[in-house]
Amino acid sequence: MRPAAAAALLAGLAAAALLAQRTASVAVIAAVLLLLCLRAPAGRRRLYLIGALVSGLAVVVVTPFVEQIGTHVLWSGPTIPVLGHLDVTTEELRNGIFQGLRLTAVALAFAAYALLLDHDRLVQGARFARRSVLAVALGTRLVPTLERDAAGLVESLRGRGVEVTGLRGRARLLSPLLAGSLERSLNLAEAMEARGYGRPGATRALQPQWTLGDKSALVLAVALVAVGALWL
Amino acid sequence: MALATVRSLSYRYPEGLEALRECSLDLEPGEVVALFGPSGSGKSTLLRALAGLVPHFHGGRFSGRVEVSGLDTRRVRPAELAGTVATLFQDPEDQVVFTRVRAEVVFGLENIGTPPAEIEPRALEALAAVGAAELADRPVAELSGGELQRVCLASVLALRPRLLLLDEPTSQLDPDGAAAAIELARSSGATVVVSEQRPERVLEACDRVLFLEGGRIRDGALPEAWLPREAELPDAEPAGDPVCRLDGVTFGYGDEPVVDGHGLTVGRGEIVALLGPNGSGKTTLAKLATGLLDPWTGSVECEGRACYLSQDPGRYLVAERADEEVALAVGGDLSKARRALAEMGLAGFEARHPRDLSSGERERLALASVLVADPDLLVLDEPTRGVDPERKDELTRLLRAQAPGRATLVVTNDHLFAAGVADRVVSTAPVRELAVA
Repeated sequence: MRPAAAAALLAGLAAAALLAQRTASVAVIAAVLLLLCLRAPAGRRRLYLIGALVSGLAVVVVTPFVEQIGTHVLWSGPTIPVLGHLDVTTEELRNGIFQGLRLTAVALAFAAYALLLDHDRLVQGARFARRSVLAVALGTRLVPTLERDAAGLVESLRGRGVEVTGLRGRARLLSPLLAGSLERSLNLAEAMEARGYGRPGATRALQPQWTLGDKSALVLAVALVAVGALWL
Repeated sequence: MALATVRSLSYRYPEGLEALRECSLDLEPGEVVALFGPSGSGKSTLLRALAGLVPHFHGGRFSGRVEVSGLDTRRVRPAELAGTVATLFQDPEDQVVFTRVRAEVVFGLENIGTPPAEIEPRALEALAAVGAAELADRPVAELSGGELQRVCLASVLALRPRLLLLDEPTSQLDPDGAAAAIELARSSGATVVVSEQRPERVLEACDRVLFLEGGRIRDGALPEAWLPREAELPDAEPAGDPVCRLDGVTFGYGDEPVVDGHGLTVGRGEIVALLGPNGSGKTTLAKLATGLLDPWTGSVECEGRACYLSQDPGRYLVAERADEEVALAVGGDLSKARRALAEMGLAGFEARHPRDLSSGERERLALASVLVADPDLLVLDEPTRGVDPERKDELTRLLRAQAPGRATLVVTNDHLFAAGVADRVVSTAPVRELAVA
């Protein structure tokens, strides 16, 4: 399938998860996306899956404490200045799970986009807004590039007998990672300019024709949004 | 008529560093010009000026005139010069835009407006020319440094430029790969300006040599360190008490082993050079020796402390000050760190931020950061990448002077350096003759 069609399908699933009103529907969408992500190599998918699941779980945990809905109290806590009376109701918990699943589904859709799609073909196939598509593709590469740089930094320290352990040890890597990333982006921008990026009159390599499967995926993406808004 | 002319070119970077002073030269169609000079002498800046990146991309103060194919580089943006001029930069890792090889080579062709039907065939032809046809569908992240350098060379050759600017194009290639790359550039028919730190790799192929020093083009003969030298790879027997012994080790990053049943012994007092073609597992073997990787099978025995300095170590500096960077390996002992900095000629740089240093200074800082620990086993991975011959001689003297106290393993593609520094040579290649080139 063309990356553009696959991206549309993933966007359709994410939109359906945001528009759906039933927890079970969102859970099914999240499960489908999780299965898709599991097709990526284990080493690469780990960070994305942890990010998606942890952020969803955080929403589940925090929501009951910041919302004030429902009458079926499961737990009543102290009164905290600014936050007010802390309690957890069945309705708050349900809503937390619902919102957490929504966020997880959207994050998993992004993870599937980052892990499974050929971003090069996505950029090459873009008929309009090519610069924006390229910017998104370069942004998507940021995570694996940072991972590689972090591994290089850890190896550089281990090579000197310095083990990187604990939160503090890892936090020490943030500043050099950021500095390295800025240096790299400047070098890349220079190399892109030297290779004619931004020059008027650019052409595109010949692209394969849209197949029936590609067109069906686009229709399905639109249908998913409609179904999510109206029936799920 | 000259393809490119440079007249009274002086240039100062926005940070105040004066990089070029009153440079003038003519480049004739089809000639191959080697550009030599110590680190920081302005070689890369001169190439950038010919590509129009100086001053357009970098800013700074520019005086004089540079014309390429009749176009004044001050009036024409670098992107518009692309196609007429093509530049291969020093660090292949920093010039890759796409995730797959084919798209990477196609990128420039699309930008310069190549007819759509010609784009793919030209990209594949360029990849085949650099011996990388089989890499077309591989992810860039999975390539070795040498493979990536060949892909970047294909990206610029595909543009069929009239002026080809190569900034240390063979820094990560083995001697055979380097000779092929230079020959390919020469046979492209373009005017080629190639900046190199390993003069022996280009002297035979070039029509003339320019030597830059302190931003000026120097007349007269090349300094002695830059002249071609005769050298033989040493073939001494293993000596000294073994500090590190690898026996039948196997290791790979995927399903296939990169190192398969290799053995290696490095004794105290000896310097061993580990040679071999790109992708033959030299770096992996070095990492296994220092315990950075655990072998699938086989055994690794090391005595005492081992330190490993990676390729391109200037990229992986973590502290905010040079002395703190060096002190990391000695538990924060700043006095030891400052002594190590002084030994590497970096006295007075203690409070400088490592990323404010030049690339050559960063390399020396990185070297100080491992030497300070006085390890029993010192492993240096491609320590002469981007290092000029004078500094290479200094490094040779330093390693020879410190050799008696430790075991030293040097992973390198630089056979001339290996011939000068090592007591013996071990190859990861299938059994074959190793040439000094």
